[in-house]
Amino acid sequence: MRKPKLLSVLRITLLWVAAIFVIVPLAWITLASFKTPQELNDPGLVLFTPNFDSWASVLSSGILDAAYRSLVVGLVTVGISIVVGGMGAYAISKYKAGGSVTRFGILAAQVLPPAVLVFPFLTMAYALRLNDTLVPVIFAHLSFVLPVVTWFLIGFFDAVPPALEEQARVDGFSRFRAFVLVVLPQVLPGIGAAAIFGFTLSWNDMFYGLILAPGNAAILPVAISGFNTFRGVQLGAMSAAILIAVVPVVIASFFIQRKLVQGISGGAVKS
Amino acid sequence: MTFKLGMLAPLIALLVLIVGFPLAYALYLSVTDYKLTDRGTPGFVGIDNFLSTLTNVDFWEAFGTTVLYVVMAVGAEVVLGLAIALALQKQKWAKDLTRSMLLAPMFITPIAVGLTFRFLLNDQIGAIPAMLRGIGISYDFFGPGRALMTLAAIDAWQWTPFMVLLLLAGLESIPKQPLEAARVDGGSAWYVFRRVTFPLLSPVLVIAVLLRALDALKVFEYVFATTRGGPGTETQTIQYFTYQTGIQFFRLGEASSMAFVLLAIVLTLIILTFRRIERGRAA
Repeated sequence: MRKPKLLSVLRITLLWVAAIFVIVPLAWITLASFKTPQELNDPGLVLFTPNFDSWASVLSSGILDAAYRSLVVGLVTVGISIVVGGMGAYAISKYKAGGSVTRFGILAAQVLPPAVLVFPFLTMAYALRLNDTLVPVIFAHLSFVLPVVTWFLIGFFDAVPPALEEQARVDGFSRFRAFVLVVLPQVLPGIGAAAIFGFTLSWNDMFYGLILAPGNAAILPVAISGFNTFRGVQLGAMSAAILIAVVPVVIASFFIQRKLVQGISGGAVKS
Repeated sequence: MTFKLGMLAPLIALLVLIVGFPLAYALYLSVTDYKLTDRGTPGFVGIDNFLSTLTNVDFWEAFGTTVLYVVMAVGAEVVLGLAIALALQKQKWAKDLTRSMLLAPMFITPIAVGLTFRFLLNDQIGAIPAMLRGIGISYDFFGPGRALMTLAAIDAWQWTPFMVLLLLAGLESIPKQPLEAARVDGGSAWYVFRRVTFPLLSPVLVIAVLLRALDALKVFEYVFATTRGGPGTETQTIQYFTYQTGIQFFRLGEASSMAFVLLAIVLTLIILTFRRIERGRAA
């Protein structure tokens, strides 16, 4: 009986070490956002009187405007993806529409390196005089959010028992009404998870934003990278800005973790 | 029939507009001498861009750097992810809280992760080097010969949770009978893991490694946040090199050809992996 005990001690130690590794950087950045520039030069300092200057300066620096732009881009991208992707995913799941070509296309679109698509987006944005606006950023984000959301939803639609819908058809529902009134409520939790995950992907992207809208229409990650001048004075503000970007998605993530595996595997693995 | 097509058509149309058309346009760019600073029609140069990419020493250096980065990062993620997933599987106390917390890093904006670690590991004001100095070790995380390893470690911090998430799901979908049979037969924990758990887990593991490797190939934010390719060109990855060629030097044609070479590598990786999976199934 000694061996299993040793294993479980190892197991618990590993989990504690992992937890400390996860928490330390986040705790550190939180502390830093409440330090004065002098205190920032003392990395060992843990107990100090909190100072709100960094937060005040970051809140008046346009970071909130950037966060708002990121929110708009995320919501528009996810809204379009859910409606268009949802309809398509249903057709693919239920009627095997488009065959394996469509399924493969959706999968392939998810792994396209952004460097392939970004330069066409940039030259088109220049040609239409839309560079440094949110329009090309939304289109670029759709190029990876739409395939991922569709992929998630195919899996969730696959899991709906066909009998439900057949019953609705027998009861005299049109195909579209059966889809909206019977099938959709069944996959609502899945749609919610796909929406939050898609939003996270859009909220976290910097590459497209940096190239397509580096100036006046900078989204949050691009605005944060602007603190990268690395003068001591800016560090507190940068820490506060990082927290503004991190906290919403981490909270949102708690609601979707259970559904995530099912989504990534296209419904092949259920949790 | 019309209902089915009506539901699918918007998706296809939008995918063609935002993926198909840009892809074709990128292919066009890659055979021109298009520069962002030029006015007028770009000239057709055929496969010149591809030839110069394939013979560009810097490109291949960036390629080597990226491969090394992917191997280090994904290797660490597999080992750590598997250990943590096995540990979490048996976790009963505060199960959901533990999982949520350990999975959190994968949802954080990569640029925020990069900047946090740039700060945390900084030689003068970072907490980790200060702690190491306290026990008499002086270690510059972003110094020559170390910066790429540090970047891979940052990648592992953020993405080991992804590995944990998939492997944990894989572990939980393994049927109970073979495990119990092996235990009843008196197999040690290690034997059961090596002969039963691991083979049953390997399909999920292959997919998880593929997804992570494809994503790690595109590393950009950590480099942008911390080293900007330095010291020298030690941490210049493909995506960063392409970004510089296209955006800082305005050579869009050449940058597009580089992106296509990367795409070719990605597709080859996918096809090879799926061939292996198919063969595994046939055997």
